[in-house]
Amino acid sequence: MRLPEFSFHEPLTLDQAFATIKKNNGNARFLAGGTDLVPLMKFGLETPSMIVSLKKIEGLKGIAEDNGYAMIGALTTLREIISSTVISGKLPALSEAAMAVAAPPVWNVATLGGNIRQQTRCVYYNQSRAWRLEKEPCFKAGGNVCHAVPRGKKCFSVYCGDIAPALIALDAAATISGMAGPAEVRLIDLFSNDGLSPFTLEKNTIITGIKIPVPGAASRSGYAKLRVRSAIDYPLVSAAASVALDKDSIITGVKLALSAVGPAPVAIDLNGVLVGVRIDTADFTALKDVLPKKTQIADNLALPGSYRRKMLSVIAKKAIMKAAERAAEKETI
Amino acid sequence: MTRPSKQIISLNVNGDDYELAVRPNRTLLEVLREDLMLTGTKEGCEDGSCGTCTVLLDGAPVRSCMLLAVDVAGRHVVTIEGLASDNELHPVQKAFVEYGAIQCGYCSPGMILTAKALLDTNPNPTEEEIKLAISGNLCRCTGYNKIVSAIKIAGENIAGVSSHE
Repeated sequence: MRLPEFSFHEPLTLDQAFATIKKNNGNARFLAGGTDLVPLMKFGLETPSMIVSLKKIEGLKGIAEDNGYAMIGALTTLREIISSTVISGKLPALSEAAMAVAAPPVWNVATLGGNIRQQTRCVYYNQSRAWRLEKEPCFKAGGNVCHAVPRGKKCFSVYCGDIAPALIALDAAATISGMAGPAEVRLIDLFSNDGLSPFTLEKNTIITGIKIPVPGAASRSGYAKLRVRSAIDYPLVSAAASVALDKDSIITGVKLALSAVGPAPVAIDLNGVLVGVRIDTADFTALKDVLPKKTQIADNLALPGSYRRKMLSVIAKKAIMKAAERAAEKETI
Repeated sequence: MTRPSKQIISLNVNGDDYELAVRPNRTLLEVLREDLMLTGTKEGCEDGSCGTCTVLLDGAPVRSCMLLAVDVAGRHVVTIEGLASDNELHPVQKAFVEYGAIQCGYCSPGMILTAKALLDTNPNPTEEEIKLAISGNLCRCTGYNKIVSAIKIAGENIAGVSSHE
């Protein structure tokens, strides 16, 4: 599969990047690691006339802890995130989520910002041009039909990011930069829940960094993922949790976010469930009641939607237990 | 639209410096195989899933099918052709041959380069560390057991040689 032709630009500053796009008036895409964009271009699902590489722009890389926050540049690679002791020690869900992405050679190239901003996926859409020719174009391919949900009136493609749910459970915010200037947006607010256009960000806007409040010792996080193979695969359902315990190992707060359940990651309101009980005696049966009854899970990934729906509470419990066990370890130190 | 012009990039491949004129839409894999005739690097799935196109970029394994050649200008690339020196196979290559870690051979260049990168930083990996390192390289023939053993033995051989130096 050959890539379609495009012009290639390497601006040295964000201002230059925006000016390049404005001047060329083209259908531009920003390039970070390229591990999402390049395959989409090979399949003919993205056809930009211009690629603007962000690699030479200074200030978009690195991990620092400052004033109670972990600040991570959007172009920081997943390998750098996985190697960071600050992240694995204090924000383990992020470390775990990064390790759950694809496989080690991809970690060396894929970036934090690029992983967050990956396109939604569907077994009827992420296929070669020849494969897609056998079927009527679906909503995401510019047509008027959904092959995953018969008589569906919209696109049910799935947001399969591993990292966004971890960042949502960790209360992270994204700093963004666009032609209108910089802004800070809560992670969950980046997502539109629309499979056709999954992000709320205006076109030609760049995520420049992620800001995560560093939790105290009694709060830790975890990530769990359902997939067929233990590497390479995107999540079929995943969950990230952040759990705070008091000195008696009683849960004082739980934050939970899900991914691969529809066109956007979902932050779950646990409505007090699990709070006020000791982690070793916690009854997880109530968890099922607070998980969304009406998800947008359809038969559009590698396993049936009915199975993925059943596994939601299992994966959510796994993420909460990982987080709680880590928080309990910290408490006893 | 006028056709985007070629760009001149410099690339160090297997220790040799090249100056190449490439169009922006060409991947590193295409340039290695078609311009430099380094066909040891294989083309597999073409979308980053299988790992058969793995090369080392500044020492780290990457998928060459997902990288634009213009985006890696100035970097150091090692392909499978760059491992042997003076007709002497690299210890990982030797171990793959000696312990039967090769069947059809299609995954071997990517697998061997991934193993080399692992052993460069961790010459005595555990079985779990080896399995994690090669988890992005698919092999449809061997069942992986002999590959894991060969990498372990290659690590021991490398460590043995360096401890005698």
